[in-house]
Amino acid sequence: MPVNLALGHVSTDFLIAALVIYSLSVVAFAGDFAFGRPRRAASAATGQQARQRAGALASVGAAAAAPAVPPASSAPPASSAPGAPSAPGSAAPDSMPEVALPPLRAVGQAGRWVQAALALSAAGVLAHVVAVVTRGLAVHRAPWGNMYEFVTALTCVAAIFFLFVMIKYRAWALGVFVMGAVVVALGLAETLIYTAAGQLVPALQSYWLDIHVTAMTLATGIFFVAAVLGVVYLAADRSARRVAAGRAESGNGILRRLPSIEQIDRLTYRTVMFGFPVWTFGVIAGAIWADQAWGRYWGWDPVETWAFITWVLYAAFLHARATAGWRGRRAHYIQLLGFASLMFNILVVQVFIAGLHSYAGVS
Amino acid sequence: MTDVRAPEADPFESAAEPGEQGPRNRDPASGKLGLADWLKWGWRQLTSMRIALVLLFLLALGSVPGSILPQEGTDPGGVQQYFASHPALAPWLNHLGLFNVFAAPWFAAVYLLLFASLVGCVVPRTFRLAGSARTLPPRAPRHLTRLPRSAEYQTTLTPAVAAEVAATVLAGHGFRLRRPDGDGEYWVSAEKGYLREVGNLLFHLALLGVLVSVALGGLFGYKADRLLVQGTTFADTQSALDEWYPGRFVSAADLGPFTITLNRFDASYITSGAQRGQPSSFDAQISYTTHPGGPVRNDRLEVNRPLSVDGAKVYLIGHGYAPVFKVTDSRGQVVYDQATPFISGASGNFLSQGVVKVSGAQPEQLGFTGVFVPTAVMVGGVLESAFPAADNPVVSLLAYAGNLGLNDGVPQSVYQLNTAAMRQLTSAPQLLLPGQSLKLPDGQGTIAFTGYVPWASLTITHDPGQLPALICGLAALGGLLLSFMVRRRRVFVRVRASGPAHGAPDEAHSTVQIGGLARTDASGGFEDEFASLAAELRSAHSQHEGE
Repeated sequence: MPVNLALGHVSTDFLIAALVIYSLSVVAFAGDFAFGRPRRAASAATGQQARQRAGALASVGAAAAAPAVPPASSAPPASSAPGAPSAPGSAAPDSMPEVALPPLRAVGQAGRWVQAALALSAAGVLAHVVAVVTRGLAVHRAPWGNMYEFVTALTCVAAIFFLFVMIKYRAWALGVFVMGAVVVALGLAETLIYTAAGQLVPALQSYWLDIHVTAMTLATGIFFVAAVLGVVYLAADRSARRVAAGRAESGNGILRRLPSIEQIDRLTYRTVMFGFPVWTFGVIAGAIWADQAWGRYWGWDPVETWAFITWVLYAAFLHARATAGWRGRRAHYIQLLGFASLMFNILVVQVFIAGLHSYAGVS
Repeated sequence: MTDVRAPEADPFESAAEPGEQGPRNRDPASGKLGLADWLKWGWRQLTSMRIALVLLFLLALGSVPGSILPQEGTDPGGVQQYFASHPALAPWLNHLGLFNVFAAPWFAAVYLLLFASLVGCVVPRTFRLAGSARTLPPRAPRHLTRLPRSAEYQTTLTPAVAAEVAATVLAGHGFRLRRPDGDGEYWVSAEKGYLREVGNLLFHLALLGVLVSVALGGLFGYKADRLLVQGTTFADTQSALDEWYPGRFVSAADLGPFTITLNRFDASYITSGAQRGQPSSFDAQISYTTHPGGPVRNDRLEVNRPLSVDGAKVYLIGHGYAPVFKVTDSRGQVVYDQATPFISGASGNFLSQGVVKVSGAQPEQLGFTGVFVPTAVMVGGVLESAFPAADNPVVSLLAYAGNLGLNDGVPQSVYQLNTAAMRQLTSAPQLLLPGQSLKLPDGQGTIAFTGYVPWASLTITHDPGQLPALICGLAALGGLLLSFMVRRRRVFVRVRASGPAHGAPDEAHSTVQIGGLARTDASGGFEDEFASLAAELRSAHSQHEGE
């Protein structure tokens, strides 16, 4: 079936729209840092204390609502669980853990800048999804058959996934970093490796393209978010250590408004835990496809080798977090090394090292 | 692959990890120790998480040269080229096994140590899991408010009733329960999520299974290549194969006796636009029999669509052109008339090279080196191919006469001409269009380019480890998901009589304490689960108050 060029142009237009809207959302996230209500105004003095508390992640960045959500382990003040009538004639004050605020209500209580940024992110995601879908309709296949399409799809996954994370875990203080990275990646794809809509070589004409590359795209998008969170973690950790060493003023700049390093750490860990099985599935699906196409399920082709290296490094990250002496900073370096190997695979191995996976379509 | 080793200070394991603390973990350097102690120490080191991490790193690091340097297994030509361009460095790299990393002893050492480390951890842990499945959860601690999650409230129920109600609620959620043995105490211990451990173990054991499956395929499988010119047939026997890579325990007798005929091969290409010249489809029409003389079946081979026959799989891997030459020698006898496969490089629109060896020519043997150009254009005096389809086919030939050297006992490639004992007959390459012929000097005869046919290259594989590897891979994925999504957690309820309440001295009165802890709540959500469980327990209690 011939490529629908008009629809291909529609896709490009929507992608540029998404890029613009994402940029505006980054501006709004930054605006929240600059002009938004201070998140921890009430607890500025106890900020360090709050950092040490491995409390509910749910209270992260819940603007004015944060003080209203006491950590589950605190005893007084008493507050009844919603819906449960308090026992008649209580002798001692009750302490019940708070059932977490529904995420969307938490968004309602966030600042104006955050609401604007989230709305813009959602609008950007919508335009991005339309761009990816129209590209797929234009070429009559899954729209991740070359490098340009792969990057646009993986940034779409990253944006959707992070939008979900931001709302579920109230982690919008991290929005400026992740959405900023999405803008940079998408902008580079648009300017450096733009490839017009086209057909695929016979080797890629298989429904395994849909399965294998979709899984790899999903996993890469999720690992992308984890990598940005890892960088934020390292920056926050560095700042916390400087403060502890008395070398820097506590409470300066952006880092003060971030969630605690424990919370960033846990969020990163969960993100990797989400991506790792997807990556594993992608590797298995790739092995099945390789068996269909090349007559062996694993042949240490350069791209296969680097997918293996990436898998091993992320596995090492997951293990490192359960090993004394490797938690925290070192574990995150491993995680970033894993993402670096993933990027090396996409940007260097697939383009410059001859192998069976040379489909990048980058000239 | 999380924490197959229990994290330090694990409240879920009463016994401390052997080897982590205690006098058994003495550094052998600090005192006099026998060989057995040294071995124990080594084993404990090997099975520690730290060493496992280091081995994982080495595995990743060791794989790097395998992707950067050409490898014997995937690119033997590249290895030869590397030897030619780096004559000083290449032998050293070769000594280190860097041209065959994934079969190198040091690479095997890394992954075998890693798997030994894994076994050393998984096996004791399996026993521990089996043990904890048989024993009940521990008794409820005395002070539940000290646990990571806790709640406390009052009820007018008696402690015995309140504990009974709590047990019913927790049992309804699928917790395993433990109740006090004697009277005087009212508590419930509840535990859930054993599948997390099961998943973790399944994942690691399945990885071992993958390794065994790969080894199985390497020992009992084979791979073979065969180039098949359109219109010809071959039988799957060792002599008919161009290349045969048998596993250690495979002999020629294990080859399937099937035969395959390539009836027709078609390749189509995109003819316009930016992707001009890129292939759009390959299609090989074949007929095959599962054994010689058996019923003939017709099928099609395409990329991504292999043929399963007789326990083996046949893949369409490549294709090219085989120009047909007819050679007449000085006596006027036709001594050569066949399609000769020419091989193309990775680029160049199927500009293909090949040789013709005419051993039966008189008075001297004849040899030709040639280039087949499917769509010939002259660019600055150089012959190039403008398109991969044969739109304007041309061959360019150089002729030689003399001794082909076929009887020297040294095996020769059919794609190379040994011109050491030959003299060149034509001073420059001669271009021929289909139907044209070249008259050789000194009455040595003629060579005619009568046409061309396509060829397809097939790969035949048999891998008994394939299905086990797939099953183990999927089992690993399932185990991974189980261990990530299930959390093992304990919830305790303790009820104490708390004396008469203010203003209601006649009512019985109890204090309910709930405590909870999760072991590595990695996917999160225990705090929410605990909060809603506490709310549910409380509303169950207040419902019973009304009865």
